[in-house]
Amino acid sequence: MNNKLEQLRKEYDEVPIPEELDMIVSRSINQSLKARRNKDPKYKWFAGVGAAALIFLITINASTTVANALSSIPGVDKIIKVLTLKEYVVDESNYNANIKVPSIAHLDNKELESGLNEKYMKENKALFDKFQAEIKELKKNGDGHLGVDAGYEVKTDNDSIFSMERYVVESAGSSSEELQFDTIDKKNQILITLPMLFKDNHYIKVISEHIQQQMREQMKADPDKIYWVSGAVDVLPTDEFKSITKNQSFYINNEGKLVIVFNKYDVAPGYMGSVEFVIPTDVISGDLVSHRYIQ
Amino acid sequence: MLNRNTEKLLTRCITEHKENVYRLAFSYVKNKEDALDIVQESIYKAMMNIELLKNPDAVKSWFFRIVVNTALDFLRRNKKVHAMDHEMIETYTPGAEDVYTDIDLKRTLDDLPEKYRGVIILRYFEDLKIDEVAAVLGENVNTIKTRLYQALQLLRVKMNDEPSKEIK
Repeated sequence: MNNKLEQLRKEYDEVPIPEELDMIVSRSINQSLKARRNKDPKYKWFAGVGAAALIFLITINASTTVANALSSIPGVDKIIKVLTLKEYVVDESNYNANIKVPSIAHLDNKELESGLNEKYMKENKALFDKFQAEIKELKKNGDGHLGVDAGYEVKTDNDSIFSMERYVVESAGSSSEELQFDTIDKKNQILITLPMLFKDNHYIKVISEHIQQQMREQMKADPDKIYWVSGAVDVLPTDEFKSITKNQSFYINNEGKLVIVFNKYDVAPGYMGSVEFVIPTDVISGDLVSHRYIQ
Repeated sequence: MLNRNTEKLLTRCITEHKENVYRLAFSYVKNKEDALDIVQESIYKAMMNIELLKNPDAVKSWFFRIVVNTALDFLRRNKKVHAMDHEMIETYTPGAEDVYTDIDLKRTLDDLPEKYRGVIILRYFEDLKIDEVAAVLGENVNTIKTRLYQALQLLRVKMNDEPSKEIK
């Protein structure tokens, strides 16, 4: 009997180990560590070599008092312009970077304007420096592929609201996409934050519940969609989407609807990319301070 | 910072046991590509859920458990298709080549119901202790002991049933 077992064990031990194993294991470790850092904001700035993820979550919080102190000029349309201030470009066979730094102009609130512009400049400079450091590291250790594409897109620009999305797509084998938003109240010339739209923190619960409901409905309607929400198959309790954060990424679309945005991997598997949920106004109308921004 | 250390521990454990883990995965899915996929997915799952690792000393059995579960999930999902690699196909195709005794032996193991096979592999091939096997399979120690005994019985019966072609 023992002989047979030994024979079986020999068979087992003789399963050839494929060459790719080492590479696959180290790649998986690196990528999953990166994804972890992504989940945990406090590690964001320390993402390692070949890191495919970078999130900017700094928000300039314009306080409501400042907002109220500023007089509104009714009926006057503000022309806010976004210009590309600077472009960082790297174009080598294996390394590509294209970082466009937006710059806002014609804001009457100069403090806000320069604050935002400074933030954009600083973040993009940091991104570029990091990219260059990574390239250097990769070149030292052989070679690799790395790409970064950062830029912006004006989501909404109407009489009262200006919303701009900034994106960072990094690719190193797999790609990651990070989005962040700034929404400006044109009349009052202030930066709108999520908490200031609502009377109290109750909105967090209302919106979270509504999003969970939307997730389930979408999954039911389309089996190809997967969200990490309770009730979905194969979802681990730790991965479940429970709640938005107080300062969750958002913008206000042209219809005046609140849109909540999640980064890739936040609430769904990577293939779903970054996801957006339009929140119907009647869901939150009870919690809104006013209907000035959101209709 | 606790997580940082656990991450390091897990990374080391994965790197140290990558070949074992690959073989373990292979023993379930029987082909290279799927086994590699399972290794990859297991690493990802483990890293993303490191918080669930309560006892860092048990990191190995915890990770093995993820591998086993991932492999079982994979088999469940792909139930209808039985994966075969070249060797397997050759074995089943009538050909001029000799059939080796080894393959019979392997098949005996493969013929065992999953719950017995896992116990044998972990205990005798991966040299885990009984309590580690229990942790990997999520069963209590006594169940594992019983299963191990039954598995050996089954193996013996199976092997005795088959005419021995082994001549040494």
